[in-house]
Amino acid sequence: MKYRAFAASLLTLILLTGCGDPAQEADSAPASADLFAMDTYMNLKAYGKDASAAVKEAEERIRTLEQTLSVTDSQSDLYAINHADGAAVRVSADTAAILETAERIGQNTNGALCISLYPVLRTWGFTTGEYRVPDASEIENLLQFCDDRLISHEGDSVTIPKETELDLGAVAKGYTGDAVTEIFKQHGITSAIINLGGNVQALGKKPDGSTWTVGVTDPFSPDQLLGTLPADNQAVITSGNYERYFTDDGGNRYWHILDPETGAPADNGLAAVTVIGECGVECDALSTALFVMGTDAAADYWRQNGGFEMLLVTTDGEVCLTEGLEQKFQPKRELQSRVIRHDETN
Amino acid sequence: MTKQTKIIAAAAAAVFLIAAALSVYMLRKAPANRIEIVQDGKLLYTFDLNSADNQTIRIPAADGGYNNVVIEDGTVRVDTADCPDQTCVRMGTLKSEHLPLVCLPHKLIVRFAEDGAA
Repeated sequence: MKYRAFAASLLTLILLTGCGDPAQEADSAPASADLFAMDTYMNLKAYGKDASAAVKEAEERIRTLEQTLSVTDSQSDLYAINHADGAAVRVSADTAAILETAERIGQNTNGALCISLYPVLRTWGFTTGEYRVPDASEIENLLQFCDDRLISHEGDSVTIPKETELDLGAVAKGYTGDAVTEIFKQHGITSAIINLGGNVQALGKKPDGSTWTVGVTDPFSPDQLLGTLPADNQAVITSGNYERYFTDDGGNRYWHILDPETGAPADNGLAAVTVIGECGVECDALSTALFVMGTDAAADYWRQNGGFEMLLVTTDGEVCLTEGLEQKFQPKRELQSRVIRHDETN
Repeated sequence: MTKQTKIIAAAAAAVFLIAAALSVYMLRKAPANRIEIVQDGKLLYTFDLNSADNQTIRIPAADGGYNNVVIEDGTVRVDTADCPDQTCVRMGTLKSEHLPLVCLPHKLIVRFAEDGAA
């Protein structure tokens, strides 16, 4: 009988002390950082033994990329290209890689992604915050030199005409997310979430084994979520007309995603585009290009090229999602939705 | 079974049950309403919205500006600020872990703490 009492006491002891394995807890302790860079708020969170070093290195990498890719910093690659008066400029491997992706997606989307619209963005005031509605002739004049085909890019050498100016705002954050993911992988991190101003990249799964969840902002009420999407080693990147805009005296809204054909805010029936895929810089570039293209052209592009999933929100409030997301998107409110399938036409 | 062993067994069972109840209580998920107020990477405040008193916290910014953060009836919002874009004020109350209240000009973030996501 004494044995039974002893066993019961032992069990109690086990129960009282058996709260988690300390080694595992140390392994899953997060390292995180909040940064303000590239005109946005960024939050990095990584789990694992080497997480602190990984996050520190990632922060340094973000600061370096910010400096390299800035349009206004006089030490940046972009500044050098834009102020070379038509001469060739040597750029870093990062700048060369981003330009290569932007040029490729620009070509594939028939110019819907255009990184040479900076003079037009400036005249609208999107670069300074001093907003105005320019007249048509002024835009037409500036558009002559806003054409990515004018960029001559060979290895690390870049040349643009004197009047042309580049801006990598449509792709820089996606590239940065990829760079941070790469650093985390080098440090052996298998669980991390990288949020660069609403552009999210997930590495692996959460420490508890569940899939990371990413919120999709409601473009009609940006303080609320439209729904959530799971992300498993994926980037979830959104371009929307709610991100940066101004309203004129007549109540018309003008947003920062410009249509390269008109030089005016892209108005092809979409309020927001979310692209989900493995490569951040491609998702970033596509979210802008597909926003410019509109629903039907975006659906055609997806059918022809694939390699990503997308969620489109039309200006009428309809949600169109590609079939890979049909079972994954969790709406937060009642939505009118439609599935874009491979085996159908618009 | 002697009386003594019965008492020992009963006592052990009682300790076991109390320990079990205590373990469940301690391991239960914390109430999901803890928020953090962070400025330029520095954690300034944490609150549990379930128990925090109604209050206004004036947070000075490095540029001489400010944000007034209001905790009221279990909610938190940036009530007023002198930043140029007013995005933080327009966000209204904090609703989701995915949508922190952010004031870019003042480098201020109000968000749910990790174990307190909505």
